[in-house]
Amino acid sequence: MMKRLLATLVIATMALSAAARAEEKPTKVTVGYLNLVNAQLVTKHLGLLAKEMPGVDIKYVKAGGGGDMLRAIAGNDVDFGGLGNPPTAIGATRALPIKGILVINMLDYVESMVVRSDKNITSLKDLKGKTVAAPFGSTTHYLLLQALKDEGVDPASMKIIDLAPSDIAAAWLRGDIDAAWFWEPNLDKVVKNGGKILVTSGEMAKRGYPTWDIGVVMNAFAEKYPSYVEKFIKAECEGIDFWLKNPEKTAEIIAEELSLPLPDATRMMKGTGMVPCNQQLTEEYLGTSAKKGRFVDTLIATADFLVKQERLPKLLPRADFEAFIQPAYIEKVIGR
Amino acid sequence: MSVEASPMEIPISVDRTQRGSLRLNIPKVSRSLLLSTVTVAVLLAAWAIVTEVGWANELFLAKPQTVWAAFVKTMTKGYQGATLPQHLGASLYRILTAFALACFIGIPLGVLMGVSRNARALLNPLIEFYRPLPPLGLYTLLVMWLGIGESSKLSLLFLAGLPGIVISTIQAVTSVDPVYVRAAQSLGATRRHLLFHVYLPAAGPLILAGMRISLGFTYTVLVAAEIVAASAGIGWMIWDAAKFLLSDVVIMGLIVLGFTGVVLDLMMRGIAKLLMPWA
Repeated sequence: MMKRLLATLVIATMALSAAARAEEKPTKVTVGYLNLVNAQLVTKHLGLLAKEMPGVDIKYVKAGGGGDMLRAIAGNDVDFGGLGNPPTAIGATRALPIKGILVINMLDYVESMVVRSDKNITSLKDLKGKTVAAPFGSTTHYLLLQALKDEGVDPASMKIIDLAPSDIAAAWLRGDIDAAWFWEPNLDKVVKNGGKILVTSGEMAKRGYPTWDIGVVMNAFAEKYPSYVEKFIKAECEGIDFWLKNPEKTAEIIAEELSLPLPDATRMMKGTGMVPCNQQLTEEYLGTSAKKGRFVDTLIATADFLVKQERLPKLLPRADFEAFIQPAYIEKVIGR
Repeated sequence: MSVEASPMEIPISVDRTQRGSLRLNIPKVSRSLLLSTVTVAVLLAAWAIVTEVGWANELFLAKPQTVWAAFVKTMTKGYQGATLPQHLGASLYRILTAFALACFIGIPLGVLMGVSRNARALLNPLIEFYRPLPPLGLYTLLVMWLGIGESSKLSLLFLAGLPGIVISTIQAVTSVDPVYVRAAQSLGATRRHLLFHVYLPAAGPLILAGMRISLGFTYTVLVAAEIVAASAGIGWMIWDAAKFLLSDVVIMGLIVLGFTGVVLDLMMRGIAKLLMPWA
């Protein structure tokens, strides 16, 4: 009798705790990643996320650019995503249910403006009357218009067209465009076919226009599975550490993931800035929960710019952008 | 009032249980117009209520007044450098040019394939193969071949419109009563006579119906055609606004597209009546 009761109790406890654990565990996690060179490819390739989340079905979805990612987020198709600062400013202003939790990468010369070397273009002023391409709504579209404004060149004096990165490469090979500001891996194809770099995104960062990609999580997911947000960050941090410690192996991974020759992958890696997770909480990046960092300033500057472009209805107060940046998860991961 | 006296007895007799004979005298056309108005009104009301109460996220479904404001703003100030009439003009130019091309090539091709078995056997594989291809898949290739300018956009719209016209023309021509053909031949008609006085007049109504469907199909491919490297056009405006999550502009653009589609279709019907009063 006693034995039976005990057995029942044990089974009941086990069932209960299993139920409790099952409740906290998502059955599936979908990670949207951008088609560019950064440590997310390492995390994906080494299966670091799967190691952090055993028993969870992990799905990776590739997005060509920020516009596609934004649509995926708005459509609730991903749990985690990555966004450049212009799409982030759009998402934050439009009150998309997301939070920025991690610096994915800082953009240096992995993003550049390339011009036809036989067209004698030595400055932005020479672009008058030319056809210039950029994926609209992305970091490079933002930088292109900022750079033109700083040099006092009227954007209406040239033909600026909206093309996806892969279409830019195709249009370049056909000779349809004279200049383009976009990113690797397609950038390289253009440079090798009669292109030369005029300005890089890294140079624009030094002029006060940093561009970056930030990891975001859907609010609903973060509320339901906060510990899995930490697991995600932990996996991505491991990827970043691997990138910083093993550049050669990383280059091999990038080369394989993006089907590139090894020297190209190595060069593209160097053009991307990776920020180790324990530095992400400094003033320059996310900052801390108590005092948010300069990412907020970049977001406000970007949003302000987009409002002037009539792509956004109004500029939100600083507090809204501060609320979007959430260093709390990464603070927990690195134990601060 | 006697219902029997009304010339509209048949359509309204079903309605006898409804109130008053006054209503029964409403002619059939305005009755269906009334019903259609009810549908639109209910839809608009539902839209207004859902957005006002907050059941729908404004990010995906803007309020009717916001959409109206977007319409007014685009009419007067424009969206990204072009006003709504300019966007519409760019799109209509593309559609109508491509559609005219599709008719100029599709109708003669269809007649040829309808009259001659050999021509049909020769050309059918081509048309049957590309007809079911999704436009976007075709488009990437067109962009590689023809570039990012107008020619690739026009080609895509042309290719979308062509098969409908060809196939309906073939059907129209093959369904012409052979008695007409033989009668004309026995009266000494030449091939040219047969074409212009027998085949085309008899097949005309079906060809025009095919043209209408084909115009509709061309229209549906518009947004896809304007995704790549356009800087004006209703389709481009919708695509661009979607990137920036401007749902008011997106919805406004779709409504304008819808109305324009209806107007185009009415115009096609008008042309059909003018050209083929016997149909």
